[in-house]
Amino acid sequence: MSDAIDLSVDFAGLRLANPVCTASGTCGYADELADYLDLDRLGAFVTKSITVEPRAGNATPRIVETDAGMLNAIGLANIGLERFLREKVPLLEGMRPAVFVNVAGRRIEEYVTVAERLAGCPAIAGLELNVSCPNVKQGGITFGTDPEQIAKVTAAVKAVAGGKRLMVKLTPSVTDITACARAAVDAGADALSLVNTFPAMVIDVASRRPVLANVTGGLSGPAIRPIAVHLMHRVWREVAGPQGIPLMGMGGIRTASDALEFILAGATAVAVGTATLIDPDTAERIITGLAAYCRRTGTTRLADLIGGVQ
Amino acid sequence: MEPPQAQTFLAAIPGQFMEVRLSDLSLPRGTEIPEDLRDAARRQIILRRPFSPCDIRKTTKGARLGILYQIRGPGTLRMSTLVAGDPLSLIGPLGNGFDVPADLRRALLVTGGMGAPPIEYLAEYLRTRRPDVDVRAFAGARGLEELPYEVRFDNEKGAILDEFRRLNVESCIATDDGSVGFHGFVTQCLHQWLERHRPGDGRCIVYACGPERMLSATAAVAQTWGLECQVSMERMMACGIGLCQSCVVPVRGEGGTAVNKLCCKDGPVFDSKDVIFE
Repeated sequence: MSDAIDLSVDFAGLRLANPVCTASGTCGYADELADYLDLDRLGAFVTKSITVEPRAGNATPRIVETDAGMLNAIGLANIGLERFLREKVPLLEGMRPAVFVNVAGRRIEEYVTVAERLAGCPAIAGLELNVSCPNVKQGGITFGTDPEQIAKVTAAVKAVAGGKRLMVKLTPSVTDITACARAAVDAGADALSLVNTFPAMVIDVASRRPVLANVTGGLSGPAIRPIAVHLMHRVWREVAGPQGIPLMGMGGIRTASDALEFILAGATAVAVGTATLIDPDTAERIITGLAAYCRRTGTTRLADLIGGVQ
Repeated sequence: MEPPQAQTFLAAIPGQFMEVRLSDLSLPRGTEIPEDLRDAARRQIILRRPFSPCDIRKTTKGARLGILYQIRGPGTLRMSTLVAGDPLSLIGPLGNGFDVPADLRRALLVTGGMGAPPIEYLAEYLRTRRPDVDVRAFAGARGLEELPYEVRFDNEKGAILDEFRRLNVESCIATDDGSVGFHGFVTQCLHQWLERHRPGDGRCIVYACGPERMLSATAAVAQTWGLECQVSMERMMACGIGLCQSCVVPVRGEGGTAVNKLCCKDGPVFDSKDVIFE
């Protein structure tokens, strides 16, 4: 019966076997997760952020748990562009799912430098532009809250990205997320991903100090899911739907039902983040659950559900 | 625990750990929750919690793992309602564990507070697999109440720890408040013992697990005596398998520059000479 169900989706011209992806920063560069999850079952793999130079990241504690979620302030710790190209790209070459590399920077030129080099890698299908990291002093969210800056960095990267799909990751902490979405799309984004984490803070009442060394961090996990679904629906209805731009939804997805909420709200693909840290095989369980939902509801093509909320 | 998982854990090295899912366990009844944990009991937890086993042994059905814990927050509160036969989701064994070289002659085990479990397992491991190694344990805590062991009084040796006595391992207790054993830090106790007995001939390694300040002080004592020292570090971690990058430990890299290592994958055990303590 299951072979009668088509879970595949068209994501900016890429055929994904199913809509389930990894969320950047929760899955390493793939090799870390391979012992726990059959990566070839994924729809797409989205790597941890890459910057031009290696980054050590923030001091510890870098994470703290909160009700139904967690805060992280990793600070874009990564091995840097050169080591990524040398050590990690060869590992991505054999992967069946489409690979998106998350690109971050402090200035537009840094995004461009990384994108230019990645454009030459056949193993990479697309770039995810991180203009929404809340945990670094320069770049990150300071780009992502200003539609003008989003347009500039998107256009600059698009110009050097070659045939790579360009996906822009939006922050939820703006008054009007559709303005940011529109800016990215008008500047040439092929897809959007939303949402990144919410800037947040936890205070230890015993020491009367913030728990995170960085003081603030990004809130993720089930706690943010209904807000993320709402923002997904707005962006779909007002920007992406009318313009035919695919969306990747993320924010607290743990189950197939969670993923379906995003899909019904307008997501073509969904990404699993925090849940992977708890149960590394979550993505596989969601794929199985999506097929079961389709069987139960007589849905032959999962793609028919995209934006299908009534 | 049944095969094949049992085999995996029976091959575990002391100092390795596992990530335990506690979020789906029930809380104790309201009246059984200590006053200072009432707020914590209301928290909805999602992350797994790392634990180092204090004991792993073969049984007729597979293996039995011992987890020693103190009820301190929303996770361990839930743990306290577990009864024999309840299922529990574990990921492990994770991390590197303590290194026990073939030419080891003497092991000095140092623990502080809740650093006890992997040290206890290391003592058992050395006793059963390396009877040629002389093992001695030093356990520190703020006071008698905080000592996660059973204390026993021996006419000749004074206060000793029953867990180590059963393994035929000599032990010393140190408490900050002097309520039992040596009055002072466990590291002072270790230093005093070394002054009296000397490290002896052959390769001697200090193995330590506990709060970072204690580890750093242990490393200093080891250095004074020219001894190797392995420390088991602790960090807040979300995943335990190298995905989240939250548990970094700064170590001295080539040319003396600091390099971040992951406590979960590169550790939790590090050579104390490499670690840049807080």
